[in-house]
Amino acid sequence: MSSIIAKVVNASKEYKTGDTTITALQPTSLEIETGQLTLIIGPSGSGKTTLLSLIGCVIYPTSGEVWVDGVKVNDLNENQLAALRLNKIGFVFQGFNLIAPLNGLENVMLPLELMGISHKEARNRAMEALEKVKMTDRMKNLPKALSGGQQQRVAIARALVTNPKIMLCDEPTAALDTKSVSVVMEELKMLAQEGKALAVVTHDLRLRQFADRIIYVNDGFVSDKPFEDENLSH
Amino acid sequence: MLMSIVRTAYRFIRFDRAKSIGVMVGIVISTFLIGQQLGIAFFLSGLMSAVVDNSSGDIWVIDTRAKDANQVGFIDSRNTRLVQSIPGVAIAYPIVITGGKATFPDGSNTAISLIGSDAPLFKAGPMQKNIIEGSFDNLLNEGAVTADYYDRDNFGGSAAVGQSFEISGKRAYIAVQTKGVRGFGGTMMYTTIDRARYYGNVSDKSISAIVLNVKSGANADSVVTAINKTIYGVRAWKKGELSFSTVYTILFTSGIGVSTGSLIIFAIISGFFIIGLTMYSSALDRLKDYGTLKAIGANNRYIRALILGQAFSFAIIGFIIAYLLLLAFIKGSEPSGLVVHFPIWVLAALFMVTLLISLSGAIFALRRIKGVEPASVFR
Repeated sequence: MSSIIAKVVNASKEYKTGDTTITALQPTSLEIETGQLTLIIGPSGSGKTTLLSLIGCVIYPTSGEVWVDGVKVNDLNENQLAALRLNKIGFVFQGFNLIAPLNGLENVMLPLELMGISHKEARNRAMEALEKVKMTDRMKNLPKALSGGQQQRVAIARALVTNPKIMLCDEPTAALDTKSVSVVMEELKMLAQEGKALAVVTHDLRLRQFADRIIYVNDGFVSDKPFEDENLSH
Repeated sequence: MLMSIVRTAYRFIRFDRAKSIGVMVGIVISTFLIGQQLGIAFFLSGLMSAVVDNSSGDIWVIDTRAKDANQVGFIDSRNTRLVQSIPGVAIAYPIVITGGKATFPDGSNTAISLIGSDAPLFKAGPMQKNIIEGSFDNLLNEGAVTADYYDRDNFGGSAAVGQSFEISGKRAYIAVQTKGVRGFGGTMMYTTIDRARYYGNVSDKSISAIVLNVKSGANADSVVTAINKTIYGVRAWKKGELSFSTVYTILFTSGIGVSTGSLIIFAIISGFFIIGLTMYSSALDRLKDYGTLKAIGANNRYIRALILGQAFSFAIIGFIIAYLLLLAFIKGSEPSGLVVHFPIWVLAALFMVTLLISLSGAIFALRRIKGVEPASVFR
């Protein structure tokens, strides 16, 4: 049974550069539910990453409200936001963003250690997460010694090791070959089926087959239906 | 959490090997230079105050104008009896310090500072612990003086007991060999007060200083005050105060203090910038990693601890390497007479300075990383 885990209520985001104000996201309302893989599709510069950043609590909205797991994000300070991200949200990035000096296992253990979990327990839980993405055989390798697909699988393990309620993926397949795209998306789909809320930002229409729900973003506007003048590049 | 920070900091250091070596070299060079300069400064200050430090009295009485024990003028020898009469004084001993020229059989010669005090106590020095050959009894013999092992090159290669030479044309011989009893700017030789007068042509109406011991239970400060109030033309100093005044006066009249101090300050400044800029550059290389750490939930305290953890590790490893180099320096310079000792508090202070350089150098990196937004990982 699905439930609402994140909520954006009439939220917008503006950036100021000198005298110029750029509206990255128009006032938007949407809900992210558990047990669903929500695809956020839009061309480059459309505002989809801004939307993801708002849900991911890495930026504050200029107006409106953002709620994650019943907590109003607008009211939290930087450290409280960091704690919320650590405990409730898992991130998967376009460029994998594994910590370069740490090997695969250490990368996956890191969020647990940030939570104050003991080294031994963190190691056991990280091993379980790596087993889930079938990366235990390469867990002692530094990220630079892994292929793009392998790095993304380690990144997924790192995102899910804290058992977050919501996982946010920013173009998770953009740097992968076709075979790796299927592997990574199947893994993400499986996590959604296990009850997690997954929000995947992409401009790749081929990923629609994995989605339970699709949100379209264009010029800062968000819609459940494709925009008429949408021109997505592949 | 702490162990996690230490482990992660170690991984960061090991991963960025070239820059880590750069930081380490900066710390080692700075710490070694500071340690070396401090060591030499301590050695020189030991030489400066050797005249006072080698004596075994509690209080020195010298002419009123002198602030440096190496530059005392003569005072009337009758002052010894006056000093002796001051309440609290146990025994007062006159001392004669005079200069001369020592000429050795091979034709070599050197300027000497001859220090004479009453036998058999030899209150002016040397101390028993410094005698490596002969004994105080040997100094009673005609022409007997001490010579120091480290001054042997000035004596034609040997300071061994038995060697004859001349002081200002008068026959003398080495009766006692000391080790580590050296003066600042001249070779020190100890003998009896009468012999010092003889070699230096000093009248028996004049003495250079009076060294005294206070009675058991008497207060040294009160004795000093009483002497300064009662006796005209002399000034009493507690031994430690005269030693400090001597070092202070020489350091700031010779320029040694300014020279050593400026070298230490420049070593600290250069270390600060080498470490700071290298750590900053290293932080720039790792911006993406720090941004990711913030995005996945690391708070600012963790990031700060991670950077300071690296700086702390650099300080510890750098200090150990610098200390080993300093030990090699001490070992290598000892045969030439440059005997450097680092008291434990100096080593502790040196480590604190190393830590300060390293941690303050991390400020550049901290400031840069503080500005990294977690949202930057999405760009």
